[in-house]
Formats: sequence, structure tokens, C-alpha cells
Amino acid sequence: MDGAVRAAAIEVSGVRKAYGERPSMTVALDDVSLAVAAGSFVSLIGPSGCGKSTLLRLAAGLEAPDHGTVRVHDVAPREAAAAKLIGLVPQTPALLPWLSVLKNVTLPQTVNRGAGKRRARFGDLGNGGPPADPMDLLRRVGLGDVAHKLPAELSGGMAQRAAIVRALGLRPDVLLMDEPFSALDELTRESLQDQLLDLWGELKTTVLFVTHSIAEAVRMSDVVVVMGSPGRVVDSVPIGLPRPRDPGLLGDPRFHGYENQVRNSLRRAWSATDAA
Amino acid sequence: MPRSDLVSPRRPVAARVLRPAMWLPLVVMLVVLGAAWTWGAHRFPYLLPPLRAVGATLTGSPAYYLKNAGVTLEEAAGGLAIGFVAAFAVGVLISELPVARRAVLPVAVVLNVTPIVAIAPTLVVAFGFGPAPKIVITALICFFPVLINTATGLRSVSPQILQVYQSIAASRLEVLAYLRVPSALPFIFAALRIAFPLSVTGAVVAELTAAGSAAGLGTVISNASSMNQLAVVYAAIFVLAVMGTLLLLLVTIIERRALRWHDSSAQP
Repeated sequence: MDGAVRAAAIEVSGVRKAYGERPSMTVALDDVSLAVAAGSFVSLIGPSGCGKSTLLRLAAGLEAPDHGTVRVHDVAPREAAAAKLIGLVPQTPALLPWLSVLKNVTLPQTVNRGAGKRRARFGDLGNGGPPADPMDLLRRVGLGDVAHKLPAELSGGMAQRAAIVRALGLRPDVLLMDEPFSALDELTRESLQDQLLDLWGELKTTVLFVTHSIAEAVRMSDVVVVMGSPGRVVDSVPIGLPRPRDPGLLGDPRFHGYENQVRNSLRRAWSATDAA
Repeated sequence: MPRSDLVSPRRPVAARVLRPAMWLPLVVMLVVLGAAWTWGAHRFPYLLPPLRAVGATLTGSPAYYLKNAGVTLEEAAGGLAIGFVAAFAVGVLISELPVARRAVLPVAVVLNVTPIVAIAPTLVVAFGFGPAPKIVITALICFFPVLINTATGLRSVSPQILQVYQSIAASRLEVLAYLRVPSALPFIFAALRIAFPLSVTGAVVAELTAAGSAAGLGTVISNASSMNQLAVVYAAIFVLAVMGTLLLLLVTIIERRALRWHDSSAQP
């Protein structure tokens, strides 16, 4: 792992995953291969039911593929999870309603205390260092004042920020995000995108980001992976926009160019499904 | 930034209770009930004692009622404690092991629909006239609601929360301690609000069944009714009602403290 050429942080090869029994079987993923370079920000975009979230769950080790392999830093996702290399941000904030924001954010450091030793075996993954100070992270995203409040007292955007801090507090090497901003209004969404990009630029985490929004995918990512139904990768669009990507970029013609490219890919995937 | 306006500050209880709109309906209701009782006692003297007579026996020999109430309360509390601990343990077991759930749950359901009163005489034969059969009956009565709610509550954690903690490889014990048990607390308190007053019912039923019991309010009732002392019967019933209410109040207070975070406890 400590060679000059860094292996992909997430490597998915020939993965197939289906749910249910034979006659009424749903294929979620069909021969999907994907490599996410360490430290990069990769978005998965595609129509509902194309297996984006399934792919994310496989990478988190929550489920196992029927065929093919998923590797996170060259080990099985479950092993990576045991070493706390993975941070997961689900669609809803999923905070514990009986704990304050601060305790919600620090609880992951309390569980699975053996992870530190297991993690040491992976060597320096480039984002080393002790877990970030949760209070500091909360202040960074504007939650310093509400650190001692209960989740029920937060707005949707604040709760989702807390969920992101909870995942980042462990300094995960791989951050898996499942449409984290889809339930938020447009303005909140943009400000959370800003904050996430800001934190990501500093923590150098590998991010796999599931989204429905083309603009969000283009704005955030190094690479946008376009998926189609049933569960296959249709296209992979590298986004050559400079970073940091401040909100002004949204009006840039190059930005629209990439948006169109992604949209055309999605459309092609859609019509191919339609024809089938 | 902090949206503290979302949480309505609780008004002082005293201020709310003092407004006539709050206490007047209850007072009117009590006056109506008292008048109906007095009329009934006058009309059917062999069915209802005058309220004055009930009051007189209560104030005349408070030690007698307190002593017997203490006996019943001890049986109720003992049975409740045993029933609760057993139900919680079995609830954890069946929520963690599907095999155990399939084995235990049908038996528990059958136990629940079986009238415990019908088991009581055999328990008296088995355990004698002391407190033992009363505690066993109370424990049996309290067992089921706690078991079902514990098992349901432990499985009520949202899948997304579970996934977050599975993705950092939290152990089963950690998931149980940090996620499942706290999630189950509202369910467990809902069960306790039933089980606390129910425990008194269990103890009294057991006392009524065990002819020859030495003490307890159920025994007081059964002895007094055989001697046609209606005032004593109703005095004992009154004490039981007060006891049940106090137990309900106790569990509600504990619940409010333990579940400050929970929506249902925030409602007025």
C-alpha cells in the first residue's frame, strides 16, 4: 500500500447484485466496475432505482455482492469498516434524538475502540492525524452555538451538517454520501455544498457521493459516473473545472458544458432502457 | 441561528392549574358524582354505604388501612420488579435471536390471553397463603406488556442509524447499549404506565383468590364483604384507587425526567 502509485481507494469490479428470488428478481447492479482514486471526489448520478445506493451500501460493507469484488484500500469493505476507514452520511441525518448534537458527533469515537490498532496497519493514507476535534468541526460548519441542543431543535440543514461532522470526526479515508442534500431547499443545499467542499479540501478524504442533481454532481466532483437502469455504469465524465469551486462558477459556460455532457449521457442511458 | 423557538417553553404547572377553566370541570364532575352516590346510598342502602361512613372508617382507623395497603403495595412492587426484569431480559433475548423469538413469542401470547385469575387458585395451592403466590401472579400479569413493548422498542431503531453504526463496525453489544435500549425507552415507559397500576390489580386478585390470606387490601375487602361491612369495602377500594393513581403519577414523573428528548413526553 505504501508504493509510489497509490491504489484506488474504492475498487469495484464485475459486481452483480440482485434482490428477491428468481421469478420476481430485481437486478440492482449488473456487471458494474468502478475505481475511485484516493483523495478524489466522485459522484454517482442516475435515475431512481439504478443501483446507486446499492453500490454505496456495498462499498460500506453493509451488503455483499452476489458476484464480483468490492475493495476499499485493497481490503474487504467490512475490514475497512472495522478499522473505521469509512464514514457514512445517509439520506436523512439519522441523529440519535436523545443525545445532544455534540454527543451525537462524538459517539462514533466511543464505539469500536479497537479500530485504531487495525487502522495503523494501513499505514499513512495521506489523511492521517488524530480524529478531528468534533467541537472544532461543529464550529466550522456553524453549529458551535447548538452543540448542546437536541437534534429535534435543529433545522433540516443543521441536522444534515451534524451528520456530516459525525462522519468526518473519525477522519475517515472514504466518505460515502447517499443523497445527503436531497431533502434540503435550494439555498441550504448550496451552502452545505460550499461547506462540504471546504472541509473536503482540508481533510483530503476520498468521497463517493450519490446524487440526483446534475448541477450538484458537476459542481462537487472530479469525476461524475453516470449510471443507467438496470444497474450499470454508462459513462464517466471527468470534470476539469478549477478548484476551489466557489458559487460564482455556477454561471460559467464551462460549467454548463459539463452539465450538458452529463445530461446527454443520462438521456442516452434513459432511451437505451426505454428501447429495451 | 439557534431555533429555540421550536421548543415551546413549558409554562409553570401551578399557573395552569390555578385557572378555573382547568379545575372547574373536575370539581363539577366530583360534585355530580358525590350527589349521585349520596342519592344511591339513600335509595339502595344494602349496595352503597353513605360517603360519610366511608370517610369515618378511613379517618377512624388509618393505621389499619395503611398497614394493609403496605402489604398489597409490597406484593405489587415485588411482582412488578420480578415481572419487569424477566420481561426485559426475555425482550432483549428475542430481539437479538430470531430463533428465540419464534420459540418464546407464541408461548407469551398464549400466556397473555389466559386469564391469570384462573391460574391463581393453583398458584395458591403451590405457594401457600404467604406473599409468594401474590408476587408470582403480579409478575405474570406485568410480564406481557413489558415484554412486547421491549421487543418492539429494541427493533425500532431506524435502518439509517443502524447503517451509520454498522459502517464503523460497532459491535452488537454497542448497538444494543447505545442505540437499541435508548430507542426502546419510550416503548418501555408506555408499558410501565400500564404495568404499574396493573400490578396492584394483580396483587388484589391474588389476595381475593387466596382465601385465608393474612393481610392486604384484597383480604380486607373479602373479609369485610363477607361480614357485610360495606363502608370498609369501599374504604379499601378508595385506598386502592389512590394507590393506583399515585403509582401512575410516579411512573409519569420518572418518564418525564428520562424522556425529555421524546416528543410524546413534551406534549401537555
